[in-house]
Amino acid sequence: MPFTKFTNLDFDQIRTSIKDYLRANSNFTDFDFEGSNFSVLIDTLAYNTYITAFNSNMIVNESFLDSATLRENVVSLARNIGYVPRSRSSAKASVSFTAQTTSTTPTLTLEAGLVCVGSTNETNYIFSIPENITTTVNSGTATFSDIDIYQGTFVRNSFVVDGSLDQRFVLNNSFIDTSTITVYVKGTSDSGLGREYQLVDNILNLNSSSEIYLIQEVQDEKYELLFGDGYFGKKLENGAIITVTYIITDGIEGNGAANFAFSGRFLDSLNNVVVPTNTVSVTTVNSASNGGNIESVDSIKYFAPRLYSSQYRAVTARDYEAIIQMIYPNTESVSVVGGEELDPPQFGNVLISIKPKNGDFVSDFDKENIASRLKNYSLSGINQQIIDLKVLYVEIDSAIYYNTAQVSNINDLKTTITDTLNTFATSNINKFGGRFKYSKVCQTIDNVNTAITSNITRVRIRRNLKALINQSAQYEICFGNQFHYNSVGFNIKSTGFTLAGRTGTFYFTDVPATDGTGILSIVKESTIGGNYIVEIKSAGTIDYVKGEIIINTVNITSTVKENNIIEIQAYPESNDVIGLKDLYLSFSVADSKINMVKDTITSGEQISGVGYKTTSSYLNGELKRV
Amino acid sequence: MAVTRISRAFKDISLSFEPHPVTKDLPILKNSNAIIRSVRNLVETIPTERYFNSLLGSDVRSSLFEFVDFGTASEIEEQIKTTIENFEPRVSGLQVEVDPRPDDNAFEVTIFFDIVGQDFPTQEFTFLLEATR
Repeated sequence: MPFTKFTNLDFDQIRTSIKDYLRANSNFTDFDFEGSNFSVLIDTLAYNTYITAFNSNMIVNESFLDSATLRENVVSLARNIGYVPRSRSSAKASVSFTAQTTSTTPTLTLEAGLVCVGSTNETNYIFSIPENITTTVNSGTATFSDIDIYQGTFVRNSFVVDGSLDQRFVLNNSFIDTSTITVYVKGTSDSGLGREYQLVDNILNLNSSSEIYLIQEVQDEKYELLFGDGYFGKKLENGAIITVTYIITDGIEGNGAANFAFSGRFLDSLNNVVVPTNTVSVTTVNSASNGGNIESVDSIKYFAPRLYSSQYRAVTARDYEAIIQMIYPNTESVSVVGGEELDPPQFGNVLISIKPKNGDFVSDFDKENIASRLKNYSLSGINQQIIDLKVLYVEIDSAIYYNTAQVSNINDLKTTITDTLNTFATSNINKFGGRFKYSKVCQTIDNVNTAITSNITRVRIRRNLKALINQSAQYEICFGNQFHYNSVGFNIKSTGFTLAGRTGTFYFTDVPATDGTGILSIVKESTIGGNYIVEIKSAGTIDYVKGEIIINTVNITSTVKENNIIEIQAYPESNDVIGLKDLYLSFSVADSKINMVKDTITSGEQISGVGYKTTSSYLNGELKRV
Repeated sequence: MAVTRISRAFKDISLSFEPHPVTKDLPILKNSNAIIRSVRNLVETIPTERYFNSLLGSDVRSSLFEFVDFGTASEIEEQIKTTIENFEPRVSGLQVEVDPRPDDNAFEVTIFFDIVGQDFPTQEFTFLLEATR
């Protein structure tokens, strides 16, 4: 190795290069022997070089957003381009309860802070409210309905402004949900807590009297408040008292709590504590959801440059992706499709589907909220529509051959395969614009354990049709992938449903024509010999090439599956499945079939192959989806 | 034709760093002195003390707080032998004698060795090992 290689980060190589240098340029000879004095000197020199090289490397790495690894540095670099990483968000539940009192108070106030204790995953979590909630008392009863409670502990901090230049307002707690921060500033002429300041994320439209504050993340995932300087935003007076309240949350862990025990405190109109005469029982309207962890370093690196390049203007699909992440932190994946790409085109419309982190649907309230906030960023004349998620499920039907000699418990192996596939699905497939890569899935299965000798995996795609019960309706279901079809039919399968005016459980099936289209029929099972009876011959059409099913007017009265769902499945022409446009691709491992089959040849039971159980690589002829 | 091996002289720097009175050069340890110093360094280095070479050295220090008797002496003897055999390839015919000196709370170590490839008589040197705290 040449001595001029200065970027070396390996201690041994640095040491070797020093020895090489000495070998050519020194009268000393003993540096090769570990015990020699010279070896001690070389070690010291090499260690020094190593530390310097490491430090230089680290400093350069940490100076760029792409290569920085320490959260503090990534956050700081993102701050330079105006990006505030998302904080933890507390799980939010909605509850109702009534309190009875003998007091003559006209109003009852639920004090900010602890309200309920809820449990999930065998752990109790505290739920609080960030601000007082007051309601009127009618005939000694105060009703609190649909109040939002946040998982976490309510905290109040105060600062006194001392006018010094280096005073910082750092909230001295990690794990804060910044959306619950409320800031009051009490000047010399104010009473109570003072005036409430508003959080802003940029300095547009501000003047010298705007009562605003900004936040930024500092060390150890804590947050600092920044106030105006008298030009952009009102400057703090000397001696002003800043009161900050917020909630410290456990984030994602609080999700799922559904049963709550009341632990709050009531105040009357004179701020005296009131003890209710009844036992307050809490009714859960919505169980806790939408809790999330602090934005990861990877996510900051991804979104900070994108939000910067969008310049707070929603123009391209990427802009929407970045801005929606900012205004709705619970977003896991976003798909934005311009109306001009639709069939037929809808010019001037932008269709947005959002996959929330927990669950499949964004609530109507959140949709309205997102849409109204998006208006601040979008171009005039563009109409954003937030539409429900359309999930295209991919399932596999896999026969996995294993060597019996290497497996002690077949169920354990099966569980490991399922777990591996779930991990694979989360990290590689489940997203908008995702792709199910058949060869990678087969490879993943083979690599789970050395006992697995091969697998024969068939791929199915599925969409869930949400039936409008007792209503005549037409349905269009788009799969976005070409169907494979067999001319004898049974390519499209569904779960059962019932129809108005007809008896029995019905299924969808198909009758292919020769031109890539087909007719959708509704059939029911016959009681005689496994045959079927065609109930409605022409109930719709199928375009196998586009992967589209249109169901003519039909009145569905109930479904075999829960929640009025009819599962409709097809076989894709290509084993690689894509999530087209606004389809969210989801690899449904839970609905996949994993069949473990003994590989009698490899196991040595039947070396000749006689008795070897083969599995068809093609689809079956079943009538219904099972 | 047989390979002719030419032995080099061993030259090491002295850590005393006292300059030569006349030439003002740094002092140099040669041949047997260099090896003696090396052996002492090895014995007195505690394993894990040397960066990125955690096995180098001997663990005699931990034995210095044991009873000063022949049992401990033989243990120290073994440790010194292993260390030198592992890390000092320039010596052969190694012999180590450790005598306990209970009155001084110390062990007297005498090491005999031949220098590989050099026509010197058997070298012998003695030093005291004592707990310094």
